[in-house]
Amino acid sequence: MLKGKLKFIIAIAVIALAVSYLVYGGVKDTMVYYLTVKELKGKVPSVYGERVRVSGNVVPGSIKHGPDGSLEFSISDGGGDIDVAYSGIVPDIFKDDVEAVVEGEYGSNNVFAADVLLAKCPTKYEDTEALYNSGSEGKGVNTY
Amino acid sequence: MVETGKLSIFLAFAISIYVVCASVYGARTGKSDFVKSARNGVLAVCFLLIIATAALVHSLVNLDFSLKYVALNTSTDLPVIYRITSLWAGQAGSLLLWALILSIYSALVVLDTRTRSRLLMPYVVAVLAAISVFFTFLIGFVENPFEALPVAALEGRGLNPILQNAYMAIHPVTLYLGYVGVSVPFAFGMGALLSGQLGDEWIKYSRKWTLFAWTFLGVGLLLGARWAYLELGWGGYWAWDPVENAAFMPWLAATAFVHSVMIQEKKGMLKKWNMALIILTFFLAIFGTFITRSGIISSVHSFAQSDIGPLFLGFIAFILLFSFAMFLYRIRDLESENRFDSILSRESAFIFNNLLFLGAAFAVFLGTVFPIMSEALTGNKILVGSPYFNRVNVPIALVLIFLMGVGPLISWRKASRENLMKNFLVPVIVGAATAGVLIALGVRDVYALLSYAFCAFVTATVFTEFFRGVSVRSGRGENPALAFVRLVSRNKRRYGGYIVHIGVVLIVIGITSSSVFVTEKQATLTKGQSLELAGYTLTFQGIEQYTTDAKNATVAKLEGYKNGKPIGPVSPEKNVYKYEGNREINQETEVALRSTFTDDLYVILMSYGEDGAATIRVMVNPMVSWIWSGGVVLLIGAIVTMWPGGRKEREEVFVRYTLHDRDGTAKV
Repeated sequence: MLKGKLKFIIAIAVIALAVSYLVYGGVKDTMVYYLTVKELKGKVPSVYGERVRVSGNVVPGSIKHGPDGSLEFSISDGGGDIDVAYSGIVPDIFKDDVEAVVEGEYGSNNVFAADVLLAKCPTKYEDTEALYNSGSEGKGVNTY
Repeated sequence: MVETGKLSIFLAFAISIYVVCASVYGARTGKSDFVKSARNGVLAVCFLLIIATAALVHSLVNLDFSLKYVALNTSTDLPVIYRITSLWAGQAGSLLLWALILSIYSALVVLDTRTRSRLLMPYVVAVLAAISVFFTFLIGFVENPFEALPVAALEGRGLNPILQNAYMAIHPVTLYLGYVGVSVPFAFGMGALLSGQLGDEWIKYSRKWTLFAWTFLGVGLLLGARWAYLELGWGGYWAWDPVENAAFMPWLAATAFVHSVMIQEKKGMLKKWNMALIILTFFLAIFGTFITRSGIISSVHSFAQSDIGPLFLGFIAFILLFSFAMFLYRIRDLESENRFDSILSRESAFIFNNLLFLGAAFAVFLGTVFPIMSEALTGNKILVGSPYFNRVNVPIALVLIFLMGVGPLISWRKASRENLMKNFLVPVIVGAATAGVLIALGVRDVYALLSYAFCAFVTATVFTEFFRGVSVRSGRGENPALAFVRLVSRNKRRYGGYIVHIGVVLIVIGITSSSVFVTEKQATLTKGQSLELAGYTLTFQGIEQYTTDAKNATVAKLEGYKNGKPIGPVSPEKNVYKYEGNREINQETEVALRSTFTDDLYVILMSYGEDGAATIRVMVNPMVSWIWSGGVVLLIGAIVTMWPGGRKEREEVFVRYTLHDRDGTAKV
């Protein structure tokens, strides 16, 4: 019987090790630093060519649509701003002043080449102030 | 109405406290009057919360802008149906819905067990009421949906247009029915620990309720995926967003539980494991609610930032400490009645299934909380995205699919060589042949090959089971169709489970095909120009505009052809909503979707210029419709499994002692 039990322990250990290995490898190969614009600027030049995720508010008036669907804009968080170049699907709520999250590489030409663009609304959703100052301030995608 | 609603919530809170005390006191002293009065208290709480919810719905429908919740979530131009659904569009309303569903479930539990389980039930009722105390406290004192504005607003903020969608109307409720449903088996588990009644009773009820909650969680996840696919316009249906993971984790743990519970029912084993599993499932459900409601982990879904975060954390800590303390206190009474005989047995297939489901849940959990953990430990916020989740979960899922084929056919205790040959020869050949054909057709992706081969293997095992069952019956002279119906209706759990497995196979095929073989192309077209992709041709006819009461729409008119044959107009849109309150979205993207059995043509209007040119992105997603049809099959299977009647419960207990058929063939 001891032999049978040992087989089980080995099988369970194999599963545990396999899952741990997958988790370890997955984290190691896919992790990215999540920085603010200020932190990104602080890491120049070591950050050049490294994949990072950065968030900041879209600078009003900086959004430029290219003829081929490409997009250029700047994001800022008070500690400076960076230019972002992106091509791909643009979220509906992306516009001036929203909080944008971009993932990609910061090039030595000081343009952030992004291949992921997410957008969040800056105003807190249950902010009642906005009720009285017309409805121009928005809310986020609240799905629950 | 508002005062009635407020008062109902406070009363529900007070009565919930009373129920906890009276139920426990009655059980400990043997005073059945107290137990009875606690049960009536549960019904009263349910009644009060129905009134409170009705009052809030009334205010929403009648646009009572003196209430903060109404002003924040509705507007004058909102159709009545979405005024009602905005009950769960915001924080306070969602929490009220949580409490309401819990109270309805609690009332059902009380009514279902009126004269049964006298020793166990008072504690189950007390646990349910304790959870109700927490949620009625939240809606009564922290996030009251009836909170008034200092000055009534003239107009509300409106509901986000992308939430004005039939799927969005039912997806949150479906998920909530699942999330909250997990409370019931947890209450039975805790009731068993508290009362010391650790026999079959709690397992029987827990299994039933977990299956129920599991079904709603699963269907809710699929509805959410479908909504994202139709509405968000990026061509995918799952992004491993923290909020999606929040619902996926309890689903994984519940899936493990509905499998391992069978081992306890039939063999009296894994008692500790099951108890720990149901505690974990409930923890993950509450944790999921916490993630979605507190906004602690940054997600593309932006949520209310409010004070409920710390309260939730306190509640979670209390649940974990209390339930594991009780678990340790009773651990001696949770000994197995049997032991594992062989690694080649159905028991061990279930063990591996459980370990893998928990492994997946752990990996998802780690990935979800990674930003918080890394920030706390190293000071740097580090994130793992979709690639991490896919890398870890795809191999685990593949092994699970393989086990899904093995589990139902391998014999209990110890599989013999004959059993393995008899049951697995044909399915293994089918699986290998599928892989062979696909390689010959040029499929080279290893994961895709394994996935299809395993799916074919599982399908073959399920069909073998049905075929055997039907042929045994029709051998006795029944007509095969009747034999099939009787076979399923006499063994609902078994064959319902197989139908669920077929649903899962369809979903897996859909996910595999659409993620491995997706093709896409983007182009800027002027009038008359065409774009070709995967056999489809789209010819641009120009930009058109039209106006309705709610929006100004811009349409890119395209004529579609598949392999040269016309498939009609394809018209992706950009909409601008008229009402001010909806202006947080400049333009809402409305994709054009043509869904068929083999692939989905998914067309997005990216932008359009003054010159009449349009940039469109086209995706061809193979077999996405299989995911949704798999969901329907899964739901049908789950309903069959849960359908009342048929084999009596007494017989189920009886089966436990007789089910030692060594070859695992269909029992008819």
